[in-house]
Amino acid sequence: MALSGMRGLSVFISDIRNCQNKEQERLRVDKELGNIRTRFKNEKAMISNDWGLKEENAMPSKFSTLLSDRITLTSLVHVKGLSPYEKKKYVWKMLYIYMLGYDVDFGHMEAVSLISAPKYPEKQVGYIVTSCLLNENHDFLRLAINTVRNDIIGRNETFQCLALTLVGNIGGREFAESLAPDVQKLLISSSCRPLVRKKAALCLLRLFRKNPDVVNVDGWSDRMAQLLDERDMGVLTSSMSLLVALVSNNHEAYWSCLPKCVKILERLARNQDVPQEYTYYGIPSPGFSLCFELLLHWTCNKGKAEIYLRNFDFWHELGDTDSWCSREQREGVGLINRLNIKSLVAVGSWMWSYLFELELISLTFLSQLDKSKLSRGELEKVKTMRALQYFPTVEDPNTRRSLFEVLQRILMGTDVVKNVNKNNASHAVLFEALALVMHLDAEKEMMSQCVALLGKFIAVREPNIRYLGLENMTRMLMVTDVHDIIKRHQAQIITSLKDPDISIRRRALDLLYGMCDVSNAKDIVEELLQYLSSADFAMRKNCHLKLLFSQRKFAPDLSWYVDVILQLIDKAGDFVSDDIWFRVVQFVTNNEDLQVTEAASLKAREYLDKPAIHETMVKVSAYILGEYSHLLARRPGCSPKEVFNIIHEKLPTVSTSTIPILLSTYAKILMHTQPPDQELQKQIWAIFSKYESCIDAEIQQRAVEYHALSMKGAALMDILAEMREVPERQSSLIKKAEDSEADTAEQSAIKLRAQQQTSNALVLTDQRPANGTPPVSQLGLVKVPNMSNADQSTAEQGLTHANGALTVVDPQPPSTPSPDLLGDLLGPLAIEGPSGTAPQSEPRVASGLEVGANEDALAIAPVEEQANTIQPIGDIAERFHALCLKDSGVLYEDPYIQIGIKAEWRAHHGRVVLFLGNKNIASLGSVQALMLAPSHLKMELSLVPETIPPRRRDLPVLDFSYKFGTHMVNVKLRLPAVLNKFLQPIMVSPEEFFPQWRSLSGPPLKLQEVVRGVRPMLLAEMANLFNSLRLIVCPGLDPNANNLVASTTFYSESTRAMLCLNRNRSSDRTQLRMTIASGDPVLTFELKEFIKEQLVSIPVPSRPPAPIPPQARPTSPPSAALSDPGAILAGLL
Amino acid sequence: MPVAASAIYFLNLRGDVLINRLYRDDVGGNMVDAFRVHIMQTKELGTCPVRQIGGCSFFYMRISNVYIVIVVSSNANVACAFKFVVEAVTLFKSYFGGAFDEDAIRNNFVLIYELLDEIMDFGYPQNLSPEILKLYITQEGVRSPFSSKAADKPVPNATLQVTGAVGWRREGLVYKKNEVFLDIVESVNLLMSSKGSVLRCDVTGKILMKCFLSGMPDLKLGLNDKIGLEKESQLKSRPAKSGKTIELDDVTFHQCVNLTRFNSEKTVSFVPPDGEFELMKYRITEGVNLPFRVLPTIKELGRTRMEVNVKVKSVFGAKMFALGVVIKIPVPKQTAKTSFQVTSGRAKYSPSIDCLVWKIRKFPGQTEPTLSAEVELISTMTEKKSWTRPPIQMEFQVPMFTASGLRVRFLKVWEKSGYNTVEWVRYITKAGSYEIRC
Repeated sequence: MALSGMRGLSVFISDIRNCQNKEQERLRVDKELGNIRTRFKNEKAMISNDWGLKEENAMPSKFSTLLSDRITLTSLVHVKGLSPYEKKKYVWKMLYIYMLGYDVDFGHMEAVSLISAPKYPEKQVGYIVTSCLLNENHDFLRLAINTVRNDIIGRNETFQCLALTLVGNIGGREFAESLAPDVQKLLISSSCRPLVRKKAALCLLRLFRKNPDVVNVDGWSDRMAQLLDERDMGVLTSSMSLLVALVSNNHEAYWSCLPKCVKILERLARNQDVPQEYTYYGIPSPGFSLCFELLLHWTCNKGKAEIYLRNFDFWHELGDTDSWCSREQREGVGLINRLNIKSLVAVGSWMWSYLFELELISLTFLSQLDKSKLSRGELEKVKTMRALQYFPTVEDPNTRRSLFEVLQRILMGTDVVKNVNKNNASHAVLFEALALVMHLDAEKEMMSQCVALLGKFIAVREPNIRYLGLENMTRMLMVTDVHDIIKRHQAQIITSLKDPDISIRRRALDLLYGMCDVSNAKDIVEELLQYLSSADFAMRKNCHLKLLFSQRKFAPDLSWYVDVILQLIDKAGDFVSDDIWFRVVQFVTNNEDLQVTEAASLKAREYLDKPAIHETMVKVSAYILGEYSHLLARRPGCSPKEVFNIIHEKLPTVSTSTIPILLSTYAKILMHTQPPDQELQKQIWAIFSKYESCIDAEIQQRAVEYHALSMKGAALMDILAEMREVPERQSSLIKKAEDSEADTAEQSAIKLRAQQQTSNALVLTDQRPANGTPPVSQLGLVKVPNMSNADQSTAEQGLTHANGALTVVDPQPPSTPSPDLLGDLLGPLAIEGPSGTAPQSEPRVASGLEVGANEDALAIAPVEEQANTIQPIGDIAERFHALCLKDSGVLYEDPYIQIGIKAEWRAHHGRVVLFLGNKNIASLGSVQALMLAPSHLKMELSLVPETIPPRRRDLPVLDFSYKFGTHMVNVKLRLPAVLNKFLQPIMVSPEEFFPQWRSLSGPPLKLQEVVRGVRPMLLAEMANLFNSLRLIVCPGLDPNANNLVASTTFYSESTRAMLCLNRNRSSDRTQLRMTIASGDPVLTFELKEFIKEQLVSIPVPSRPPAPIPPQARPTSPPSAALSDPGAILAGLL
Repeated sequence: MPVAASAIYFLNLRGDVLINRLYRDDVGGNMVDAFRVHIMQTKELGTCPVRQIGGCSFFYMRISNVYIVIVVSSNANVACAFKFVVEAVTLFKSYFGGAFDEDAIRNNFVLIYELLDEIMDFGYPQNLSPEILKLYITQEGVRSPFSSKAADKPVPNATLQVTGAVGWRREGLVYKKNEVFLDIVESVNLLMSSKGSVLRCDVTGKILMKCFLSGMPDLKLGLNDKIGLEKESQLKSRPAKSGKTIELDDVTFHQCVNLTRFNSEKTVSFVPPDGEFELMKYRITEGVNLPFRVLPTIKELGRTRMEVNVKVKSVFGAKMFALGVVIKIPVPKQTAKTSFQVTSGRAKYSPSIDCLVWKIRKFPGQTEPTLSAEVELISTMTEKKSWTRPPIQMEFQVPMFTASGLRVRFLKVWEKSGYNTVEWVRYITKAGSYEIRC
């Protein structure tokens, strides 16, 4: 395509280039797009309407005036609508506009149709534009598959090449499915020219990388081996690439290729029979191998970068000197290439670790474009080595020897030379060789050779090489045992810390950290400390973490450690997190060695003398001095008063978070001042009283407390005792350090350690394209307008006839299956046996009967597998517990919903209203709240006609679920309809009490138990507890003030109020004797257990749930009452 | 007085600093780099004239091919800053002979520095009046006091000008012919729904004046506005004229207007500055006479065709005519082909703004030309998003017509010498953002 021939296009491009700003450019582009749209539309109109064509022919002069570009009459005559020339021109323009970054969302049809044009120029444009503008997901491509296939299986080599390039560039699944066999056939066919076969190999490689499952490679190992025998360098290079991909997928199958690889490598290393065009400055060009690696990384990434990169294979072949259309091709893409290098650099911002490689590439590219003399022989070498790295260590001694020989030669033969391009090329080979050496775990001698070489590199002026040298050294350090050899280069590495290039500084820091051990820790830390003060911000954080580690790990003595951290805080205070200074304090506190403590406090004192110190430093110093300053009281300048003064100087400058620490320090100083210094005391009190009215709660509290405490004098000693030792625990620092390695460039020591078994760590083996279908969002699928969904349940529990006659008293009451915590707490209350009627309105919507069987088991705790995504806020058990004592409160809360409960209990009636509040702005879907009554008990109940006075031992369960986004949340909650809710406190006078008390004599009506392990509480507290349990404490009944007597009445539907009496005699704080009496034995028992549970509140070990036949449950439809919760709520309110 | 600027920069479109002046030390000299990086090179340019970067606020304005950027770090008065820029540009224009662009700046570095020194002091705006500044910042350069030629003009007393009772007018002006030109310029902002109901409508107007009057004349202007007329009728105890009265909102006057007199007598009386100035500005929100009605019908026929019919009706007097009428009818981005039929004017498709542009050079009153166009769209790859149907925009100028109905009732000139004056009054209504939804 002679660009020079297309005047319109070149005018357009020069217009664009002459645009002074983006705005003008956009206007020009929009104008051009409008023009192209008109042209394309015209074409369609003319194809469809004959008259249009005729008119066109009849008035050619008029038509040609319409065109902005010169057009010959002849072209008008034999074309329908647009001449191929025009069409080509507009498609080129489209491509150019697209490359400028504008959206082009039409004209694809024209581009695709050009593919089927018979002539080369059109076809070529069609192929190029299609492969740029379309990706594998476009439906348009289907139109082209057939044409492409015809081209591939056709006899025209040029067209074959074009088609293969397209397939390689955008070959999606469909292409792979329909074309892979043809491509494979081409690759192994002997009749094709090497050029075509080379492209076929690359194409197949791309297809394989994208869809390894579609491309059938069974039995290809033999063929690959055959291909490796290929004498043509181009084919060999591309089959090598293919091999790398195949091997990385399944290295077992290609074992047979190994010796051949070694042989090829050997041949290349000797530079035998490498054709002239495949050498680059005497050595083969390594840039390409890097390119390939990049490509590997980038196939996973979408966006424009991909488009440019997709063209890579295309350029790859552009460079071929033997390519018969090379001149034209190069010209055609010369335009794109400029963009390309730019885009590569732009892409680099997100993969900056590869920046240096990019540089290499751009250099290589530029020179390639300049010289148009490409050579790629040594690419082979690199690739072979890479392929070798995939295999486990070579065992065969012969192969091994020859391999080592080759490597030796490479290592020795590489040297830093003037020519940049040659350097880049040779170094790529060299580093690959190093990687292989590491992989092979070669002899020490070879290793030391490598290190020596790297040592030479890190002293070089060229930054890229220095970077690579440092990086490889770090890697080497992790993989092999070359510590001592590397240590020789320590000085050089330290100089690299001062490099102007930050990436090199980082690498040097990594390396220094990596090589730090006991012997050189001190030097390195010193060096780092020095460096820290001069380092820039970007480096400081990193540096100081590294510093911390190295010195922590290898700290030769402890005071040195403290000293260093203090220095660190001093120098890079901003980056010292709280953890670090906590750590210092912890360290000093835990240390028994008085000297260390003393030294630390002395240091702290010294730092305080500095005019401007960091706030963290103030914190540490204040803390340490407060704790230990009395140890150095005798030194000059360390009297309590002086210490106080110097700390107090800092007070005005610090933030509110530090003031509490300072206050503590003052209190401690005050405490340690023996004999008390009146003046100091006055000063400190003045400060305390000043802060007593501080707006910050923490400061205020401390001030008030310290003030009050310090008034007490000696008692202060007890409370403000010296810090206890802090238990050692794994520092969060390490975690932090690991986190801080976030950026990909930081192939730092920690990471490398994890990778050490794979020296080919840099090769990505998984090249799954990431441009699959995005996950379909399910948001918005659920639309349930529901928020005023205040479900409620009336829990008016009618209690059936309590005839007082006791049929069953289960001495082992808790048979309710309740493995969960709260169930256990309530367990003692439960009695297997008859019970009152279940709440009448509660529907047993037991749609899932199996679930029903263990509903109780699941009771309070949210069902784990369903609710695992949304965690409730606060402890549900605790909330429930609190609600047992209160009538209203929050039953359940999670990030999205809050369930409040409000209950009224009057005699045997209870009214429970649940409030469901959405905390979100979005609505919650599928809200459902079912009251699950203790139904299985009811079944049993029907078998036992006699009922016993009520006990709400089996609690109604609220089965609650809702949907937020895609999370289904299901929670089962127990409603706090417990025994005490049905109590009504009553005051009794001694005259009433004692006769009744005496009349109820002995079990089962009167039960006594000694309760142990009671929560320690004061008598008044206990009285309060009883009151909140609706057992009113009647003072004055018992002469002993330590005894509590409480009374209440119990209501149920069928019984009248029944008096319950309770007498507690506490013997000491943790145990008491409790006597309960009532007119009903079961009630007595229940009450006793209930109170005991409230007093003890220690969970009883869980029991397995009793199996209950689920089919025994009756199912009844939801009552009408529930179907209209709003109405009921309104009624209730 | 509010701070308006800590530094002022003049940049060209590429972001090069043409000239700058730092008034305070509280902003660094390199802050303009932040502007270049964070504003100029992003898409936000032009979206918001005030941006904050790194503790500094940037106020910027583009005038022809120059960006004027004001940088402040303190809490400055934004309105004051922008007003300052606008005034400064007027000043520069009057110095450079009407042009203000990159070339003008490059050719007048010294003068600009001199002016920048004068018009702002430590961030506080100073006198920006061209008339006064021209007295002592002359383009010819300063004449040496030892020059042999005696000064033919007395050295003007700048202080007196600034501090005097009539600071805006020099004494001793003499004109052969005493003339006053009065222009009432209004711009109509309109947003109308496709059904023809007015969603938003207001008129902003200004009265521009050009005086060539000798001596110290005292002028009095009478308009048919409500306040003035009512007051007048009260004073003269006679009923107001039956003519329409206009209610003006947000009236602001030039500093020469005697406000006490306006408040007490409701008359606009003033001693005008010499030359051109803006006497007053006002706004009207009710009772606006719209000069044009637009009746669009845009039909989308399937995916690739559209039919556009637009009728524009001029509702001003038949003797009047509008000039430079441009109607921009938006079409979808994928427009490929258009064909028009217009009863007057010319229409074409402009792909760079995605509009059909219909131009009518001269548009008589009480007529209704129509445009009917057929638009063909090209099919695209991307899923067809429904077209957002942006509003139709209109530009026009109607001389001798005021959308507000404001009229000058009288303009009286008193001067001690009692000369005769010639008064010229012009009215013109322009389109502000005149938009009709379709």
